[in-house]
Amino acid sequence: MARPLRTEFVGDRAGLFRFGMKLSALTVLTLGLYRFWMKTRLRRWYWSAIRPGGHPMEYVGDPLEKLLGFLIAVVFLAFYIGIFNLILMFLSFSFWEGNFVGYAASFIVIIPVLFFAKYRARRYLLARTRWRGIRFGLEPAAWRYSMVAMVLWAITLLSAGALWPLMTFHLEKFRTNRTWFGSAKLSQGGRWYKLIVPATPALMSLWISLGLVAGFGATEDPAFIGGLFLSLPALGVFWVYYRVAAFRYLQSNKMIGDDVAMTATPRFWRIFGIYVWGNVAVGFILGIVASVVFFVLVVILLILGFSEDLSDAPVYLAFPLGLLGYFAVFVFWDILTQVFVRMPLLAHYAESIGITDPMALSALSQRDRDAFLDAGGFAEALDVGAAI
Amino acid sequence: MSDFENDLPDPRQSKFGASKDSKPLAEEQIFLDYFDGNSAIPRRVELRIEGAFLSLTPAEGPQVRWHLADLRRVPDQAGGKDASDIVLALTDGSAQRLYIPADHENLANALSMKTPVQSAQPTVPGIRYKLLGLSTAAIASVAFILFVLVPVLADQLAEFLPAEGEQALGDVTFEQIRTALNQDAGGSVQICERAAGQAALENMTARLSKHASFPFPLKVHVLQHEMINAFALPGGHIILFEGLIKSADTAEEVAAVLAHEMGHVASRDATRGALRSAGLIGVLGLVFGDFAGGTLALFLANQLIEAQYSQSVEVKADNYAARLLADAGLPPEALGVFFRRLRDEFGDEEGLVAHFSSHPALRDRMQAAAEAGRRNENNPTSSVLTVAEWADLRRICG
Ligand SMILES: [Zn+2]
Repeated sequence: MARPLRTEFVGDRAGLFRFGMKLSALTVLTLGLYRFWMKTRLRRWYWSAIRPGGHPMEYVGDPLEKLLGFLIAVVFLAFYIGIFNLILMFLSFSFWEGNFVGYAASFIVIIPVLFFAKYRARRYLLARTRWRGIRFGLEPAAWRYSMVAMVLWAITLLSAGALWPLMTFHLEKFRTNRTWFGSAKLSQGGRWYKLIVPATPALMSLWISLGLVAGFGATEDPAFIGGLFLSLPALGVFWVYYRVAAFRYLQSNKMIGDDVAMTATPRFWRIFGIYVWGNVAVGFILGIVASVVFFVLVVILLILGFSEDLSDAPVYLAFPLGLLGYFAVFVFWDILTQVFVRMPLLAHYAESIGITDPMALSALSQRDRDAFLDAGGFAEALDVGAAI
Repeated sequence: MSDFENDLPDPRQSKFGASKDSKPLAEEQIFLDYFDGNSAIPRRVELRIEGAFLSLTPAEGPQVRWHLADLRRVPDQAGGKDASDIVLALTDGSAQRLYIPADHENLANALSMKTPVQSAQPTVPGIRYKLLGLSTAAIASVAFILFVLVPVLADQLAEFLPAEGEQALGDVTFEQIRTALNQDAGGSVQICERAAGQAALENMTARLSKHASFPFPLKVHVLQHEMINAFALPGGHIILFEGLIKSADTAEEVAAVLAHEMGHVASRDATRGALRSAGLIGVLGLVFGDFAGGTLALFLANQLIEAQYSQSVEVKADNYAARLLADAGLPPEALGVFFRRLRDEFGDEEGLVAHFSSHPALRDRMQAAAEAGRRNENNPTSSVLTVAEWADLRRICG
């Protein structure tokens, strides 16, 4: 039996920063059209940085294909959202004399589509991912996934969150058991109740927070609000803890085919540190950049002679300058988040994953190409795609 | 790793791989990881350049020969700023891969010169035509939804909206507009209700509405805002801004604007508009997506479409106003007079905000009002308000 195979991550922050700046500039200049290329190229970069056994993953998605999928999704969704919202608003005002019911219904109606879109996007992503030249794949089951997800969400809500681990486990199992690497099918082992213990601190904080809110609602005693200042940060910390523990458990209980097992050892404190220090770094740098941008804009306006009162600056000047400043800050924020939060997180998770007995991979062979129509377009249109 | 520097032809001078005889690239052999696209097991192959071919020789099994012109580098690879690893693929889209670590510097450099950076995946066959067709179809159908389906449906549904529902819609919209104006003015926008001014406004409203019938009781408000504008909302709300009353020379000009807004109420234009925007905002959000500042583009696009819609509607309201003014014994040309003076005073762009200026048909509208005035020449007209009432109305906000 060969040595287990570890994963390397070779991405560097400076490289990602330069690459991201270039792509973002193109996206802004093309009024957003370039985002399909930007997403594809960023994925290629990220995938190539992840190297199980020293061999890079590869993303082979095509930006044109992505644009195409987006257009298809827009046509479907334009009809769905436009006509549906209209009818909902009409009904809401006709029968309930207000817009609240309409908004609520319009939100509820879109939920199954969101799950559908998420699964479709994942399927596209896996179909365009390769390692060692072998394609991944996900079986088509987007509507079933959507139904299962809604049932599990309903159960979770009805149990006031107590059955969250059940949802986490079964959604992962649903996806994993339909995932392929070449001719080898992945399978999720383990039991859902093993996630109860890691979920307990987060659930406790959730319930305490809800209790405090209810207490404040009943008595209006500010002491309850004071309690929230403790319970909400605790909820955040324990939530991250649960995510890490669940990832570790679920990945460690996956098999590729019958013989190859996976291992995963992400460390909570490392992940937590990345969240905290990464976001602190982003906020700090962004604060400096935003001040500089603002300062430069003010100087430009002053030079142009609006010295007494900046609000006198005509709309045709202030508007584009303000827009430019807004874009600059927004784009910069996105890149900084990639560089200081998302990339380090991905790196740590990737490096924690291993495969036992890689020689057993010799048993598997290539799978056919999954020709795709919408290429994750629904997720793109509904903005539920992965962060990268 | 400069051991094979002498053996590697400089790609900038001689043609790389042009020599006919097979030779290894260095004294020491170069072994790389090759994947055949069928198995996940790496094969160590020895790399040689033979004429215009790369030959990959495994320890056992058949040799693989790639024509240099068929090679593509996989683009956008991570890893170091100076040299990054090279992944070689074929242009035909096969899944075979050859990994060249960055430390084989000369080989990597030589190949960099030779193989264009291009997507390893050849574009999906015929995707460009498909894309062209689909983009056209997508734009056409979104346009159809925006400009035909949503307006038609909104118009139809507006007919069936019960009066209570429409009043609720009007109340909600009125609050939304006040909130928006508050943010704009950086404070709170008051409803002006000084008793004397209110009485004058009621007289003016009564004189006009005597000759018309509306689905709901009219509710005319004056808002304390400098904007020169007025609009109608669902459920019989009419809003006049203080700026409009202040910039009118005569009470008849205000009455003309009021009559125009009554035209909107009578044909329930605002109800259609409110229903329409419920559908439109969703669609536009979809098209502009999560791109930075999408909300802004959304807002602008919505404005554009609203302006488009309002053209024919405005003309209808003008005609209604002309009829109503004539019936009430008031001069129909007052609307045109008001527009003309505002245009002369502020120019076409500024001052005349919102739906009075959102379209270039202002000249036509002034002509139509003058035309209506000429037709009405033989009818006697009288003042809508007394001098004292007009003064009260101008001070309605204090
Ligand atoms: Zn109008």
